[in-house]
Amino acid sequence: MRRKTSLVLLALAVFFAALSPLLRHYAFPRLAKIPAGQYQDMVLEAKDATLLDYGTMKAKTVPRVTIVQTLKGNVEASEQVEKTAGKDVVVWDGLSYVVGPDGKMVSRIPERYIFDAHTQQPVHAPGEMVDGDPVKREGIEFKWPFLTEKRDYEYFDAQARVTAPIHYKGTQNFRGVEVYYFEQTIPWTKVPFPKALPVQGITPESVAKTGTTRWYTTVRKFWVEPLTGAPVYGEEIHREELRGGSLLGGREKVTAFAGHVKMREDYIAHTVDLVKSNRTLVLLMTSYLPWGFLGLGALLLSLSLYLEARGRRPGEAEPAKDAEPAPVTA
Amino acid sequence: MRALIAATAGLVLAFALVLTITALGSPTGTTSPKPLLTTVPAHP
Repeated sequence: MRRKTSLVLLALAVFFAALSPLLRHYAFPRLAKIPAGQYQDMVLEAKDATLLDYGTMKAKTVPRVTIVQTLKGNVEASEQVEKTAGKDVVVWDGLSYVVGPDGKMVSRIPERYIFDAHTQQPVHAPGEMVDGDPVKREGIEFKWPFLTEKRDYEYFDAQARVTAPIHYKGTQNFRGVEVYYFEQTIPWTKVPFPKALPVQGITPESVAKTGTTRWYTTVRKFWVEPLTGAPVYGEEIHREELRGGSLLGGREKVTAFAGHVKMREDYIAHTVDLVKSNRTLVLLMTSYLPWGFLGLGALLLSLSLYLEARGRRPGEAEPAKDAEPAPVTA
Repeated sequence: MRALIAATAGLVLAFALVLTITALGSPTGTTSPKPLLTTVPAHP
């Protein structure tokens, strides 16, 4: 009986010891992925910002400009792309909707971002766009990969439609969460006018005829929780100018927007809570369960060896064998 | 010999479990009916 128990314990010890690396290195990379149907919204604000009044074509200071950003997972589109890509894909239909202090639209930029659900690397497929213009993204956007590393990443800038490095600048503590701080600077770059402008009758084509061009620079800051790769906070020091052409009435340039854009407080609290709970799930798969299973395996192995050793104590009578029948003499 | 068989059984069971879980994967879900926002939400 003792022998049988020790064998069962040995089998369980090997089971748990093998489960430990399998869970961490095989199951986790395959199971950790962004759900295809995820929906999320975010509100950012720039207080005391500078905004162009298109009526007078003069920049003025306004108390607040709000940016409402929505990302909506398109499951049907992702299933379509998966047929050709041969991997789990997420298609995010996004909208950055900028609202002025009067509640009226300042700009609206739709985009479609297609990426690998596990690695967050971009996947190129028809429909990938920013404001209706086809793009071919390189690098990440919105979210970092699971198990983010302390290194620079390539990050796609939707305004300039370019990919540039976003630099790892150190580890910080943000509201009780250990985060990696990343920063990207996009120098002054000529960018297209949004397809939807705040004044009726003015289109990007009609503005282009005046010779006026739009320029943009930003310093983008992200505080990223490294296990989930999710930004818990973001800021942008954003400036836009209109330059040259007949639209400016002889002026060389005019500020279209300038502001320090920050996440709204209630969204920060909500994001931190969400990331903390997702972080626990990742920790379960990458640390708690693998180390727990390894410890359990070692414990069961010790127990199995102990029982086996006790079963073989010297001096103890060997288990009785079936006695052979004595020869019968006739 | 019995110990070897027991260890192999444990190993096979671990592989079978992990392969089954990863093969099952997670459900893809459905596209949310909520719209892309064009108004400022009051709260998350």
